[in-house]
Amino acid sequence: MLIPHPLLGLRDAQEFTYLGDARLIDRPDGMAEGAEAAFAEYVYLRDNPAGVHRELWFHEQGDRSWLIVTRDTVTHEILGAELARNVALAANGGEA
Amino acid sequence: MTDLTPITALGASAPADQHFGPLRISENADMALASLALRRAADMPAPMGLELPAPGKWSQGQGVAAFWTGPDQWMIEAETRATEDFAAELASHAPGCSITEQTDAWTVFEITSDRGDAPIRAMMEKLVNIDTGSFGPGSATRTGLHHLSVFLVRRAEDRLAVMTMRSMARDLWHVLQETARRLKGEPA
Repeated sequence: MLIPHPLLGLRDAQEFTYLGDARLIDRPDGMAEGAEAAFAEYVYLRDNPAGVHRELWFHEQGDRSWLIVTRDTVTHEILGAELARNVALAANGGEA
Repeated sequence: MTDLTPITALGASAPADQHFGPLRISENADMALASLALRRAADMPAPMGLELPAPGKWSQGQGVAAFWTGPDQWMIEAETRATEDFAAELASHAPGCSITEQTDAWTVFEITSDRGDAPIRAMMEKLVNIDTGSFGPGSATRTGLHHLSVFLVRRAEDRLAVMTMRSMARDLWHVLQETARRLKGEPA
């Protein structure tokens, strides 16, 4: 399996480690109202789709960047990859 | 003061150097290394007149060279300066950047070929899952090699540097030696 790294091109999936659902980057605010319920959901509840899934991969034997890879869990086809950093920055309006 | 005897990463008094048909593998014990990382929203520096390379690339300046190791991060190489405080000098040329000394953390093996690029490509094809066709001179990357994490730097058509953690020097040397030995009989 090859992963299209946004900076380095096609790279062997063996260089990467897999973390899971890309929603893990949307960590709830631990100090907010209802944080306990939000964290219970964040830690334990995952969608498990048969089809297109966005997931976090770490380029461990590479440039050590986190990627969000879009993969079809039925066919294992990789549909795209983007730097998780860019996704997180865009979600926070450019604030790190 | 205690009389200490310096040894190389392979435990010898002189750097290893061996020939295998068209290939020569030699330990580069004289190279100083330092990593350079940009801080957030910092401008791109040009330490010692060096143009810091793009992702996956290596570039050479006057007596120093650099390769990309990650977003906003590079490794700077300085030939023959392993015994100097190179990181301190680099820091004076790159104000505001994060510099760390790396010289003794790595061991560098230089593979050279006297028959053009074919033996170098044959070595790479045996050892790493990197597209050798697109890994031409001026390319550099980190990848896995026999479960070791290594940096590869293609310095020229006929020259490839492989570096790994110093504590893994013997393992890498063994792998390179075995592979070069097995390739020796094959037509280049």
